[in-house]
Amino acid sequence: MTSGFRSRFLAVMFSLVVVMLARVAGAADQFPKAFFGVHCLECHDSGVKQGGLDLSELKVDLSNADNFARWLKIHDRIESGEMPPKKQARPPVVETAAVTKWLKESLIKAEQTQLAGEVRTGVRRLTRAEYENTIRDLFDMPGIALQGNLPGDGSAHGFDKNSDALDISHVNMAKYVEAADHVLDLAIATQPKAPTVQTRRISLANSGGFVAHVILNGDGVLLKNKQPDPEFPPAGEQHHIDEGAHERIGSFRSGATVGLFRHEDESLSPYFIEHVTIYPGRYRVRTSLWSFQWDKGKVLPSRGTEAARLSVVQLTGDGRGGQHPSYVLGYFDAPSIESREHELVTWLNHNELIGFNTASLAPTANYNRKGRAMAFTGPGIAVDWLDIEGPLHDAWPPRSHRVLFGELPLAEFKPAERPGIRAPQRKQVRHLGAGRNRPDPSQGLWTVSSDQPLVEADRLLASFLPKAFRRPVSDEVRRAYVAKVEDRLKAGDSFETAMRWAYRAALCSPDFLYLVADAGSVGHVDDHALACRLSYLFWNSMPDDRLTELAASGKLRTPDVLRSETDRLLKDSKSQRFIEDFLGQWLKLRQIAATDPDRKLYPEFNPYLQDSMVAETRAYFRELIDNDLDATHLVRSKFAMLNEKLAVHYGIQGVVGSQIRRVDLPADCPRGGFMTQASILKITANGTTTSPVPRGAFVMDRLLGQPPEPPPPNIPAIEPDVRGAKTIREQLDKHRTDAICASCHAKMDPPGFALEAFDVIGGFRSRYRSIGDGDPALRGSIDPFIGISFKLGPPVDASGVLPDERAFKDVTDFQTLIAADSGRLLRNLTQQFAIYATGRDSSFSDRDQIAAIVTATQKNGGGIRTLIHELVQSSLFQTR
Amino acid sequence: MTAESNRMRRRRIGRVFRDSVLMILFLSVAAEAAEPIKHQITGLFSTEREADLRETFKELPDFKLVSIDFKNAEASVEYDPAKEFPNAKPEQVIERFDNLLRQASRHTFGIKPLRSLPKDKLTLIEIPVVGLDCKGCCLGAYDSIYKLPGVEMATASFKLGRVTALINPEKIDRVELETALKQRGVQLKTE
Repeated sequence: MTSGFRSRFLAVMFSLVVVMLARVAGAADQFPKAFFGVHCLECHDSGVKQGGLDLSELKVDLSNADNFARWLKIHDRIESGEMPPKKQARPPVVETAAVTKWLKESLIKAEQTQLAGEVRTGVRRLTRAEYENTIRDLFDMPGIALQGNLPGDGSAHGFDKNSDALDISHVNMAKYVEAADHVLDLAIATQPKAPTVQTRRISLANSGGFVAHVILNGDGVLLKNKQPDPEFPPAGEQHHIDEGAHERIGSFRSGATVGLFRHEDESLSPYFIEHVTIYPGRYRVRTSLWSFQWDKGKVLPSRGTEAARLSVVQLTGDGRGGQHPSYVLGYFDAPSIESREHELVTWLNHNELIGFNTASLAPTANYNRKGRAMAFTGPGIAVDWLDIEGPLHDAWPPRSHRVLFGELPLAEFKPAERPGIRAPQRKQVRHLGAGRNRPDPSQGLWTVSSDQPLVEADRLLASFLPKAFRRPVSDEVRRAYVAKVEDRLKAGDSFETAMRWAYRAALCSPDFLYLVADAGSVGHVDDHALACRLSYLFWNSMPDDRLTELAASGKLRTPDVLRSETDRLLKDSKSQRFIEDFLGQWLKLRQIAATDPDRKLYPEFNPYLQDSMVAETRAYFRELIDNDLDATHLVRSKFAMLNEKLAVHYGIQGVVGSQIRRVDLPADCPRGGFMTQASILKITANGTTTSPVPRGAFVMDRLLGQPPEPPPPNIPAIEPDVRGAKTIREQLDKHRTDAICASCHAKMDPPGFALEAFDVIGGFRSRYRSIGDGDPALRGSIDPFIGISFKLGPPVDASGVLPDERAFKDVTDFQTLIAADSGRLLRNLTQQFAIYATGRDSSFSDRDQIAAIVTATQKNGGGIRTLIHELVQSSLFQTR
Repeated sequence: MTAESNRMRRRRIGRVFRDSVLMILFLSVAAEAAEPIKHQITGLFSTEREADLRETFKELPDFKLVSIDFKNAEASVEYDPAKEFPNAKPEQVIERFDNLLRQASRHTFGIKPLRSLPKDKLTLIEIPVVGLDCKGCCLGAYDSIYKLPGVEMATASFKLGRVTALINPEKIDRVELETALKQRGVQLKTE
C-alpha cells in the first residue's frame, strides 16, 4: 500500500466514522467526535475492535449501566495517559483535557440523575462480627462466642459491611433466636450469690491427658529444681510402662515441672485439662515458663528465649475431645533456665479450657527413636504450672443481669407461694470432662421478683431498648414490648420469663439487627446514625454512653467533637477490632490460613510464624495510625514490627522474644511496607509456588486502587513447575506474547515480578526452591532441628518495567517507584476506608470528595491518622 | 405352700441365723481382744512402699497401722470392725476395708485374706527385668501379676532388676507370669 493511498483511505474512513459516531452519539451534547475519530477509531472501530471495544457502536447513553461502565473506563484510560497508546501520536493536552472534562461532567450528571433522591447506603443488618461485638458490649460479656454459630456474611466491593453482601434468610432468623436465648441464659443471674471463685494450680502433665502419655515415651521429661526429677527418670532405651499405674501412684501430682520437646501435632494436644469452664466469665490465668537445652539427660542453658503459646480450646458438647485451638491467647517468653511468670485475664466460655504449645520449637518426636529422651539433644520448654482463678465478678448480680433487670432483688421462687405461675426454666449446671473444678451446689430456684411487674417492665424496657437499638425509642414501640410482657404474665409466666420474651424479641428485631440511618439535615445521617457510623467503624460495635450522649445533645457533629471522639475511639482497646476487621478484608488477612505451605519446600513454616505474620501487619497498621505516618509507608518503610520469630525469618539480628515491637531495618533490607510483609506474601501465594499474576493483581487492586480486569474466559492458569526446570517468568513471557493478554499483564506483572524476591511464606530468596533438580541448599536461618530436603533451582529475577516504562532492578527499586506517587496510595486508602466506613461502594461522583480528602490530608502532612480525621469530617462519611 | 418351698424357706432362715452367730462371734472376739488384726496387703511391691502405706493410713484416722511385715506383705492394723463396718458380715469386712484402703491410696494398696497355703507349699519365682527405676513402672509390673490366680504375693523393683512372685505351682507357672509381664510392656532381662 502506497503512502498516498493510505492517506486517502484513512481520510475516507475517518469521514465515514465521524458520520457513524454522529449518528450513534446523537443523544449526547457536544460529543467530542473529532477526538475519538482521530485518536481512537483506528483501533476501536467495528473492524479492529481492539480490547473488545467498538466505539462506532458504543452509544453515549449513560443511563445504561453497561454503557456507563464502558465510558467510565474510557475516561480513566484517557485521563491516566494510557490511551491513546504511547506508540501513537499524542493528542494535544488541551484536547485531552477537554475530552476528559466532557466525559467527567457527563458521567457525573448521569450518575446524579440516577441517584437523585436515593439513599446511597443501603439498609443493612449487622455482620457476624458486629453482632457479636454489640452483644459483648451491651451486656459486658467481652468474650461470649456467638459469630461461629451464625451463617457467614457475603462480601461486596471488598468488604462485608455492605447491604449487597448482607442478605437475611430464615436460617439467619433461626440462629438469631438461638443466639438471643444463649445470650439471655448467660446474662441472667440465677443464684443469689456469685459462683465460688475457684483457684487451681494445674500441671501440664494431667492425669489422662496427652502430655503424660508423651512424657512416658520420651517426648518430654519431668523436672525438679531445674534438673531431671529423680523420681521419674527420662525415657531412654526403656520407656515408662503403664500410664494408669503412674497416674495412680502420683507421678504427675508431684509438683514437678513439665519439660516438653515435642510440638503440638495430629496426635498430641497439650491441654491443661484439669480446668474445664463450667461458669462462663472472666478468669485470671497465670503460668510460669522457662526453656532449656536438653542434652541426653542433662539440663543446660537454652539457645535463647523460646516462645510458648497459650490458647483457648473448645471441647465438644459432652466435655470430651477438643480440636484445634478456638483462638490464641498469646505467645509468651520462656527465658533460658530462669522461670518467668505471665498473667492475663480472659473470658472463658462454657466447656473451654487452656491449651499449650511449644510454639518456637521444631517438630520432633522421640517416642519411636532408639534411646528416646536419653539419646536426644535439643531445645525444650518447661512449664512449672498454670494457675487459673475464677469466675471473677466485681459485683453480683453481674452487669449483664443489671442491664436487663436493674437493681430488682433476686428471690427464691417457691411454687407453693406462686400458684398459677410457671417457674422459670433452668439449665442444669454440671461438671465437665476431666476438670477438677466443680459446680456449686444449687441454692434452689432463684429469680428476679417484682411487686409491680408491668411498671417495672416499662421502666426496664425504657432503659434497655434505646441502648440495644442505638437510638431513642418511641413510646409506641416501648409499649408494644411491654404488651408482650403483659401477655406472657397473663399466660402464667414468671416475671423473669415474661421479660425474657420481650428481650428476645428485641434482640431479634430489625431495630437491633439492622443499622438504621434516619435522615438528618441535607442528606446527612442523623446524629445517632453518625454515632453508630463512628462506633461501627472504629469498634465494630455499638456506641458507648458518651457517644450516645453527644448524639442526643446534638454536639457530635461539631468538628472539634468529631475529632476528639475519633481520637478517643482509636485510643480505646476496642479499636483493635477495627484494625483486625479492616485489614482482614482490605489486605485479605482473613485468608492467611487458606493455604498450607508445602512441607518439603518450606519446612520452617509453622503456626507461630503464621500468627507472627498477622501480628506484624496489624501492629504495623496500628503504628501508621498512632504516629500519623504518611502513605509512602504503605509500600516502603525504614522500620518493621517484628518479634524474634519474624526477625529470624527476615534475616534480621538482635530481636529477642515473642512480643512484636518496632525494629529499625538495616539499610540494605528489602523489607518495609505492607507489600514485603510475610503475611501479604503468603496470602498472595498458593502454598507451593508464587506467581507474579495474583501478587501483581493484589498490589494493583488493594494498594494502588487499580483493580485489573478479570481474565478472559477459557484462559488456563499457569501450572507451577516445582521441579525447578522453568521459572514462572519464563512461563509468563510465553503467555504475554498474546496481544490480548499483554495489555493487562503489562500492568499487573511488574509488581508481581518485584515480589518474586519473596517465597510463598515471605522469605527473601535469590533462587527458587525446588524439590527436583537443583543445587544443595544452605540452611540459612532455618532452625537446625528442622530437616531440609529442598534444593536450589533457577535464580530469581525481580526486575521489571512499569507500564510508564520506568524500570526497576529489584523490589527495593520497585518500592521507591511506587512510593513516589503517594497521592495514588492515599487516594486508594481513602476509598477503601470510605467503602468500609459507609457500607457503600465508591461511585464516580465520589471521586471529587475523595480527592478533596486527599488534598486536605496532604496539606496537613499526609498522615494516615490525618486521613481518617479528614474522612470522618467529610460529607462522604456523614451522608446516607 | 408346697413342701419344697417350705424347705427352701427353712434353709434361708438357717443361713441368716448362722451368719448372725458368726458375725457376733467375730465382732466380740475382735472387740474383747482389742488386738491388731493382721491382713495381707496388696501394693507392697518394694520396701519403699512401706512409707507410702504409712502415709495412706494417715488418711484413715480410725485405723491404726501397727506394723508392716514386708517379707510376707502383711500389716497389723488396730480398728473396730463393728464400728467401722457396721452390719458387715465377716467376709465383707475385708472387702470393705479393701475398698477403703484403695480409695485412700488411689488404688495402689488393698487388703486381701491372709494366705491359706503354708509357705512350703508355695514356690518363689524370680524374673530378671530391665526398666526405669520408677515407682509407677514398678506398680505397673506388679499390677500385671499380683492378681493372677495362684499368685500369693509379689514384688517388683527395676532398681534391683527383678520381679518376684510367690506362687501356688498347681495354679500358675513362670511362663504365665512372664507372659503377663511382657503383655504389660515389661522387658525381661533375657530378651
